[in-house]
Amino acid sequence: MGKEECKTMLDALNKVTACYRHLVIALGSTSDSQNLREELKKTRKKAQELAVANRTKLTTLLKDKSISKDDRVEYERLWVLFSSSMELLEVDMKRSLELGQDFPLKVPTRHLIQTGMTGATTTVAARAMSVQNMKYDADANIDTADLKDLETEIVQVGQMREEMEMKVQVAPWAVEAKQEAGAELKSTVSVGNSSVGVISICEEEPKDGEEGESGIMKIFAGIIFAVVLLIAGILGYLVINLS
Amino acid sequence: MTIRSNRDHAQHYRPRMTCLKKVEALVVEMQDSKSGVTATEQKLNVTTIPHVMTGQDILAWIANKMKMDAEEAQALGTMLVAYGYIYPLQDHKKLILKPDGSFFRFQTPYFWPVQKWQAEDIDYAIYLAKRNMRKKGTLEVYEQARYNEFHKWLNPKWDFIVMQATEQYRANKQRQKADRVVFDCQERAYWIVQRPPPRAHSALDCMDRLVDPNDETRTYDHYRRTTIYLQQAMARSRVKSTVSLGALVKYINTYKNHDPFLAPCTPSNPWLSEDDTYWELNLPTVEVPTKMRVERWSFSLMDLFNDPRGRKDFKLFLKKEFSGENMAFWEAAEDMVWGSAASMADQSQTIFKTFLIPGAPRWINIDGRTMGLTVKGLEHPHRYVLDAAQTHVFLLMKKDTFFRYLKSPVYKDMQKRAIVPPLHNYSDAQVEQNARNRRPGTDPILIWQQLETERKAADLAGKPVDISTIKNKIDRK
Repeated sequence: MGKEECKTMLDALNKVTACYRHLVIALGSTSDSQNLREELKKTRKKAQELAVANRTKLTTLLKDKSISKDDRVEYERLWVLFSSSMELLEVDMKRSLELGQDFPLKVPTRHLIQTGMTGATTTVAARAMSVQNMKYDADANIDTADLKDLETEIVQVGQMREEMEMKVQVAPWAVEAKQEAGAELKSTVSVGNSSVGVISICEEEPKDGEEGESGIMKIFAGIIFAVVLLIAGILGYLVINLS
Repeated sequence: MTIRSNRDHAQHYRPRMTCLKKVEALVVEMQDSKSGVTATEQKLNVTTIPHVMTGQDILAWIANKMKMDAEEAQALGTMLVAYGYIYPLQDHKKLILKPDGSFFRFQTPYFWPVQKWQAEDIDYAIYLAKRNMRKKGTLEVYEQARYNEFHKWLNPKWDFIVMQATEQYRANKQRQKADRVVFDCQERAYWIVQRPPPRAHSALDCMDRLVDPNDETRTYDHYRRTTIYLQQAMARSRVKSTVSLGALVKYINTYKNHDPFLAPCTPSNPWLSEDDTYWELNLPTVEVPTKMRVERWSFSLMDLFNDPRGRKDFKLFLKKEFSGENMAFWEAAEDMVWGSAASMADQSQTIFKTFLIPGAPRWINIDGRTMGLTVKGLEHPHRYVLDAAQTHVFLLMKKDTFFRYLKSPVYKDMQKRAIVPPLHNYSDAQVEQNARNRRPGTDPILIWQQLETERKAADLAGKPVDISTIKNKIDRK
C-alpha cells in the first residue's frame, strides 16, 4: 500500500537526516578526519536520493484527487514530515559547507578544536548507509573537492524545496500530530541499560535524579535482604524443630 | 514548513556580533596542543576523556597571550564561557569562568554562536525530547514547561520532532561511551547558552527587533494614533464580497456595451478612423441623439443628469408635468457647488427666496428637518450648505419622477426618433484620406456660448406661471 511504502521511506530519510546531523556536529573537532568528510559525502548523497524518491512518491499520492479524506489528512501529515526533514537537511548542508571551509584538512597545521571527542564516526555513518562496514575509497583531497559538489547540491536542495512549496498545496499548520507529549519515552526500547550507565558516568549530572534512583534501589535491596533473612529464620526454625 | 517570510530582515537592528569571528580566532589559538592551554584528562568511573582544562590555566593563558591583568582576563574568559565557546563541566548552569581548578572544555564548532544560524525552536524541541528520553520523563521544571509549550504550539511538527529525536538518540548510541558523554555535555551546554534557564542572564540576548531602536520618530504619540486608526479601521462596517462583487458584475453588465474599449463605437472611433462623426452626433446641442445615448439615460438618474441633452429632455417632461421646481432647485444647488466663491452669498439668497420660503414661487417639498437644517445653514452660507436638501430632492426625483419619465411618451418618442448611425468600415487608405481631410473641430467656447443662450431662453420660456399673478388676474375679474 502506498502509505506503508511512504512511511518506510520517510523513516529511512529521517534516519539519514539524524545521522547526517550527528556527523556535521563532529566536523571541526578532533574526531574530524578524511573519513568523516567521506562519510558526510556518502550520507548526503543517500539523503538526496531518498529525498527525491520521497518527493515523487508523495507528490503522486497527493495529486491523486480520488483519495478519501482520511487518506488525504494522512498524506498531508507525511508531507509535513518530509518537508521538515528537508529543512533540517538543507540547514545542515549549509553549515557543513561553512565548517568544511573553515577547517580544511590539508593544511600543514590542522587546527581542529580539541573537544574531547576522539572516536571515529564510522558506526554512525554505517547506520546511515544501512551497511555493516563502511568502505573508504576517496582520494586525499576530498575536503576541498567535495566542497564544490556540496555547493551545487545545496542549490539543488534549495530549488527542490522552492518547487515543493509552490506545487504542493498543503497547509503545514493544519496538520495534527498523532503523537502526544512524551511519546518518545515509549518508543525507546533499550533505553534502560545505556542511559543508566551514562548517568553514572557523567559526574556533572545533577545529583537529585541520582538520589531518587539510588534511594529506591536501597529500599528494594533492604526489602530483599529482609525477606531472605526471614526465610532463613523460618528454615532454621523448622530444621531445629524437626531434628 | 516554516513560513519563509522573515528572512532575517531583522538583521538591520540586531547588534552585529563581529566580535564572534575574532573570538573564534582566539579560541582556535587557545586550543592548540602546543601553544594553547594545557589540557589534562577527565577521569570518570571507567573512561577517561581528554581535552579538559582548568579555569586557572585558561586565565593564565589569556593573561599571558593578550597581555592583560587578571581582572580583564577574567572578564574575557567569562565572555568566552557566556557565548558558549567553552563550557564548564561542573555547575553547568552558571556560565562564568571560575579561576580555580574547575574543569572546562571546548565546544565543537557546530555549536559555536554564529550570527546567521539562529538556534531554532524545532531543534530545541528535538533536544528536549531527547533529554526526556534520557532522563526517562523527569525534565527540569522550566524544561518541562517549555516542552509542553512546544507540544502545544509546534503541534503540526510534533511527529517530526519525536521521530527525529528517537533517530538522533539511536545515532548517538552508535558511538563509543566516552564520545557519547562528550556529545551530551556539548549539546546541553549549547542549549543552556541559547535557551537560558529562567532568571539567568544570557550574553546572546539580542532579540529580533522589527523596529529600529534608534528611530526617534516612533514616539508614544505615534503609537497612540496608530492604535486609534487601527481600531477605527476594525470598527468600520464591511461589505461582504458576494455583495460587492455582485454589484460590480451588475454594473459591468449594464455598461459593457457603452464602453468604447469593449464594444465597437458607432459609427467609428474618431481616434482610430480620423472621422469625427461620433463627436458631431453626440454634441450637447444636437437635436436628435443616438440610440446608445438614449439607452444610457435609462440606466440611472445620474446618467441622465450628466448628459446635457438628457437634462433638456427631462426638463421638457417636467414642464409637461408641472413639477419642474425640484429640477430647478437641484440645478441651482449644483450651480452653487460649482460656482465662484464671490457669488455664493447672492446665490444663496436667491435660492432661499425662490425655493425655500413658505409661499415661495417655486417652493420645494422637503421634510421639516432638512428644511430646518438648510435654513439655519443659510445664515452662514458656504458651498455645500444645500447639500442635504439637494440630496433629498434628488432622491425624490429618482424614486418617483424618473420612472414616470421612462414610461412617458416624451421618452418613448425620443427612443423612436433616436438614430443608429451605421458603422463605417474604413480601410487603411480611407483612414489616411480622412486624416488629410480633417477639418478643425468646433471651438468649445462656441459650444458653451450656444448652450448658455439656450439655457437662458429655456429659463425664460419655461418659468412656471406665478400662481400669485394669475390669482391677481383672476381676482381682478
